[in-house]
Amino acid sequence: MSAAPQQLIRSTRFRQEREHDWWKLEAIVGRAEREGVAALDFDSALALAQLYRQAVASLSVAREISLDRSLLDYLEALCCRAYLAVYAPQETLRGLVSRFFAVGAPQAVRRSGLALALAALALALGTLVAFALFQSDPSWYNTFIPSRVAEGRGIASTRSELLDVLSRDAAASNGRLGAFAAYLFSHNTTIAIGAFSLGIACVPSFLLVFSNGLMIGALFALYVDRGIGLELFAWLSVHGTTELLAVTVATAGGFRLGLALIFPGQLTRRAALRRAGHDAVKLAVLAAAMLVVAAFLESFVRQRVGDISLRLAIGWGAAVLWLAYFTLAGRGRSAS
Amino acid sequence: MTAVLAAPPARRPLGTDRRRLAEILPPEGVALHFEIAGLGARFAAQLIDIVLTLGLALAVVLITLLLELGVGPSLVSIGALLFFFVRVPYYVAAELVWNGQTIGKRICALRVISGNGRSLSAHQIVARNLMKEMEIFLPGMYALVAADLGLVEGLLVVAWIATLIAVPVANKRRQRVGDIIAETIVVHQPPILLEGDLAATARATPVSQRFVFLPHQLEHYGRFELQVLEKLLHSAERLRNASDHDRTRANLAVVAERIRAKIGYGERVDPSEREAFLRAFYLAQRAHLEQRQLFGDVRADKFHGNQKSTDQR
Repeated sequence: MSAAPQQLIRSTRFRQEREHDWWKLEAIVGRAEREGVAALDFDSALALAQLYRQAVASLSVAREISLDRSLLDYLEALCCRAYLAVYAPQETLRGLVSRFFAVGAPQAVRRSGLALALAALALALGTLVAFALFQSDPSWYNTFIPSRVAEGRGIASTRSELLDVLSRDAAASNGRLGAFAAYLFSHNTTIAIGAFSLGIACVPSFLLVFSNGLMIGALFALYVDRGIGLELFAWLSVHGTTELLAVTVATAGGFRLGLALIFPGQLTRRAALRRAGHDAVKLAVLAAAMLVVAAFLESFVRQRVGDISLRLAIGWGAAVLWLAYFTLAGRGRSAS
Repeated sequence: MTAVLAAPPARRPLGTDRRRLAEILPPEGVALHFEIAGLGARFAAQLIDIVLTLGLALAVVLITLLLELGVGPSLVSIGALLFFFVRVPYYVAAELVWNGQTIGKRICALRVISGNGRSLSAHQIVARNLMKEMEIFLPGMYALVAADLGLVEGLLVVAWIATLIAVPVANKRRQRVGDIIAETIVVHQPPILLEGDLAATARATPVSQRFVFLPHQLEHYGRFELQVLEKLLHSAERLRNASDHDRTRANLAVVAERIRAKIGYGERVDPSEREAFLRAFYLAQRAHLEQRQLFGDVRADKFHGNQKSTDQR
């Protein structure tokens, strides 16, 4: 060894000159992790950014000149934690939620015209087909409506029995209607989730929504046949408009993914999927929020409102509001 | 020399890191290495989260029931809303507010990071947790009612769960489907611990100047052996007052004798001076290797000489 015995080796001097800054950074990072970066005072926040960059530069040098394992491990861990503190998500929960509903969601809906049209088509087609088939042969009803949903409403039911189901809202909590409502909510949520996640393959998602349409069509046909179509329409409208729109939106989200996979354009399929994913995720979240609103309408509003015209007004008022929100909200603002 | 540098490494050097690492390139341009979380730890974190949130929601429902605040349909809808919120919304909110951690991840020292070197975006958090619905909650629920399912449905659920487990197992970065879509990685929170610099403390002890090593005696070892010696000396330091110090001293004796024999150090080392000898050797070896490294001669381990001779042939 040629160096003078009292002189420290290069990597040790390097470490001694910088150690104090690293400890300072360690203390600030620890505080940022416990209390959040927002809780740091101005000086600490400023120091965090500076010390982080210094530490990263030190790490880069140390990898070249030092063989001190403990130093390298420490610096790497320190830089990793400081990196996560510096590049933490800077968004507040409130800001995120308000930005999503004010700008992100309606813009995503407007960008998904084709997918929305496809989803609506599946639903409408199912309803029409079931309705038409019922006209030619009422026994189709048993094919489309599983017995556990029917809850006694079969092709043999009389007019008064059917009407009874709709008007017995007071006993909703323990009557057959309550069970049906609970089933419908979980049923529609399941349909929405299924339609979204199966949408990546398009066809199963289309079939799922189509079969959902079949159920609605068959039920309608039965009531129309007994001359009480309007009553059912009003009963379903209160929450049904919101709920079916939610199912359509969720399905459209799935279709966006599927369409990106089938027609990736100039991108690779993976990149196209990632890109469509931005809108698809927004649509899924929007659909979930709409389902919550629908559940609220179903459990609180429908019980208190018995009048047909009022039910229609609430249901279709909500539908108009949703459509206005989709088409008008968040125009001319960037969603970045 | 250049030929040696250009030649591909014939064999994996000793001491190559066997942990699974994710390399992240932050905007500062220096690659950082995160240790990828194991599936066991992630499963535990998920289990803690589920138990905590479900327990909380159940407690709230039970309290409302006992206090008779809500009855019938309103209770049902309160419950439905609560159980809705402890699914995806809880994870999204927690990971957003706590920078990629939920309560379970906090307990298990895990963290979600973005795989692209930028900060974790809201879209990434929402996307990875939306997929959780399909990957964890739905199959989990089906698994709970497995007994009631028919044979075909049961097999379908089994196939579904098997696929979902196979994806992260087969994946190099242990990403589940949601992680792949959102470009996120779950990593271990690295512990920060700085041990003293052996090269600095070795100077302080006067006895170290007693041992002088000649350049040819420092040609035998490489980085790996140096760092093993470093670990040994650190643990000897930590265990100085511990009960099993005798075993550490025996280890030091064995290592000191090995090194003395290998490098051909002529003088006998007194048993009481073995640690000082090792420290002095560590310092001299490190100074030598670091200097060689600055000149472009990186020695990964003790086989560096062999490799050179085979390459030059």
